[in-house]
Amino acid sequence: MKNRLRDLRSANQWSQAELAERLEVSRQTINAIETGKYDPSLPLAFAIARLFGQSIEAIFHPDA
Amino acid sequence: MTSTPSTFRRVRGCLIATLAYLATTAISVWLLKHQLAGASTVVRAVVSLLPMIAMAFVIREVLHLVRTSDELQRRIDLEALAVAALTVGLGCLSLSLLVAADVLALEGKTVLIWIFPALSVLYVLARIVAQARYQ
Repeated sequence: MKNRLRDLRSANQWSQAELAERLEVSRQTINAIETGKYDPSLPLAFAIARLFGQSIEAIFHPDA
Repeated sequence: MTSTPSTFRRVRGCLIATLAYLATTAISVWLLKHQLAGASTVVRAVVSLLPMIAMAFVIREVLHLVRTSDELQRRIDLEALAVAALTVGLGCLSLSLLVAADVLALEGKTVLIWIFPALSVLYVLARIVAQARYQ
């Protein structure tokens, strides 16, 4: 699954560690999501969407 | 797991408990060989199980670490535990088949004492590999 997490984070000028702290996850989790190596659970995807004030579909979208 | 002061405290707790385990194991073995060779079975049983007190603290710290981990860390832990448990389980099964076929002669206590260390080492190695996959 592709996502715009890195772009959104950069737009807010947050480091991975800052974003991780806001979402209460590890920095490694943020990095894994940004690089597409890990797809977040639905609760975490909702938390990300809520943090950036966007819908899940606007941030995450399937490959293809 | 998130790198919080709490996490470091738990990891430090694990290390201290592991050192306590090693120390009590050495003391227990020495006592059983030199001081309690002729002691009653109950006394020998109690002394031989002394290291388990330290292990109880390790289990408590590990459980807390897992409970405070985020979802990716839990997935990594699950993968590592699955690899370690299946490898050790299949290793034991293979050994038992070889013993049953009289190809190997192993004492039960020799095998039993290595199960937990093997599980721990394989878990750590599998965790390193699993963690690298998500970096």
